[in-house]
Amino acid sequence: MSMIKKKTGSLIENVSSLQQSELSKIEEDPFQWWGLSPEDARKIMVNKPKDLRDKRMTLKESVAKYIHGKEGLNIAIGGFVNTRPPVALIHEIIRQGAKDLTLSFQSSSICPELLAGAMLLYPQQVSIKRVELAWWGYEVIGIAPLLRHLISNGMIKLDDYTNYGMSARFKAASMGLEFLPVRDHGGSDMELVNRGTMVESPFTGKNTYLVPACYPDVGLIHATAADMYGNCRIFGALCTCPEISIAAGHTIVTTEQIIPNENIRTYPNLTEIPYTAVDAVVEQRFGGYPGACYGNYWFDMEHILMFRSASDEFRKTGNADKLKKYYEEYIFGCETYDDFLSKLPYTTLKKIREMDGGQPIILS
Amino acid sequence: MADCTPFEMIAYTGSRVLEDNKIVFVGTGLPIIASMHAQLTHAPGLGIIFEAGPLTPILEMGMPLSVGDTRACRKACYLKGLCAVFELTQRGHADYAFIGGAQIDMYGNVNSTFEGGTYTEALTRFPGSGGAGAMAANCEKSIIIMALEKRRFVNKLEFLTSIGFGDGSPDYREKAGVMGSGPYRVITNEALFGFDEDSKRMVLLEVAPGRTAEQIQEKVSFELIISPGLKEMAEPTDEDLRLLRTECDPDGYFLARKVK
Repeated sequence: MSMIKKKTGSLIENVSSLQQSELSKIEEDPFQWWGLSPEDARKIMVNKPKDLRDKRMTLKESVAKYIHGKEGLNIAIGGFVNTRPPVALIHEIIRQGAKDLTLSFQSSSICPELLAGAMLLYPQQVSIKRVELAWWGYEVIGIAPLLRHLISNGMIKLDDYTNYGMSARFKAASMGLEFLPVRDHGGSDMELVNRGTMVESPFTGKNTYLVPACYPDVGLIHATAADMYGNCRIFGALCTCPEISIAAGHTIVTTEQIIPNENIRTYPNLTEIPYTAVDAVVEQRFGGYPGACYGNYWFDMEHILMFRSASDEFRKTGNADKLKKYYEEYIFGCETYDDFLSKLPYTTLKKIREMDGGQPIILS
Repeated sequence: MADCTPFEMIAYTGSRVLEDNKIVFVGTGLPIIASMHAQLTHAPGLGIIFEAGPLTPILEMGMPLSVGDTRACRKACYLKGLCAVFELTQRGHADYAFIGGAQIDMYGNVNSTFEGGTYTEALTRFPGSGGAGAMAANCEKSIIIMALEKRRFVNKLEFLTSIGFGDGSPDYREKAGVMGSGPYRVITNEALFGFDEDSKRMVLLEVAPGRTAEQIQEKVSFELIISPGLKEMAEPTDEDLRLLRTECDPDGYFLARKVK
């Protein structure tokens, strides 16, 4: 009897040694949405007031309103690796606590690592059940030690896609669809292990891979600028932020700076996220730090290295002292993200602003 | 020629492989350096795609440290997000995928997901596909960088992350639903490989000066096809090394690393 339970449309079976490993663990359960269903997501949207209303609130208020106390949420992390990661929001989520999370993102670095570290050190505060993703690491800085720790100890479940696959899943949800056909995953082992499926095209009979939409309960986005209603401008790479914000049931936006609605209306083409897709607007300078925000600051490699080396020491030796100190000093020892930023030397913030090189952005 | 490091040899060879007036979709590190070197020398018309969103930026702020680096967006002609660049790639706008990985097999399939243990409880979990799986599927040709070691050039991958020619069946890629034509070159510091048109198996095309085909075969688990026109790999000139060291990666993030 084949250990592969999933129906495959390509010739992938037996190309790798995956079959001999433990594929039987990946059961083909009846499909379930890991976040909202398209119908529930639509209902949430339809029931929202659609007027232009002031959505500004504090970081604390936004997380208390949309995340704290709701177990089992699917939280989508915006940005891409070290570009515009919503770090301020992740700190606040750890402070307030969130259990039984599903995380969804294409490629992410310090955000899931911070949540993973919180889960390992403060399991009563934060727990991750599963992650739908394409990539989790620090690129030039190294692999993600806490991901490796969680997986080698069987503590979380992963659902693997490509960067386009995850982006297409958010895009499908932003279009109100159940799935999108894509030209990747087929013929790779992701076809065997992820929740997509190969079908025959109804038009030509050719094999076509479908990825299920991803409708997160909450999307976390850090935008370059926004008005008080939630219209967002993003400069530099958009990553998958527009799609995530429209896909999610609720979206919290932190932004470097609030700009007048009049500016938004002067250049409506520059609006990458419409206000209807946004539920909370938090003005938070350096809200993506230690990641980068194009036109504002470059990423702070030293700070990321510091957190990563504390994480790596925990993975390799089990000694959590440094890692714990990081959380106590920078997250639990702070009331706000400004408190955290106040602990950094001015020269650090000055340096990362200079390293950005003054990338051009339009705020007018 | 001055002495060059293994990474400089890989970057230089990568540059040589890239044709002018094409577009290369790059992964982090050596692919970026190889592409910058190509633009500075024989391929001024080469454009670069980074997966976070930019199409054909001008890398005048120095080498982006990652494919999501804000510097990779500098003076791009078109700058959106992941969907835009991967959809252009599905449509045929990207000629080369330039990726790396942990293991490769004789059909150019690549593993960058895990090693050891099982998929659900991997001893060594890697970051995952990232863009590589989509690039290998839909860029027209794939170029893969790999360290030449027996444990990396394997008979069977532990996980197939980025599609090559699969099991070598002529219709493997068609049945997978992908659009690109597949693996084109595999670059190591000691040898350059291509693929046989009919059998889809890896072919040894070039060896580093002083190496023999037998020495390369010893570092590969599967049987290589040796090209009848086996050549010696070209080495970087002093000017090439100057460009690599002072223009492409002046801080030595990737070129000055120690080989494990």
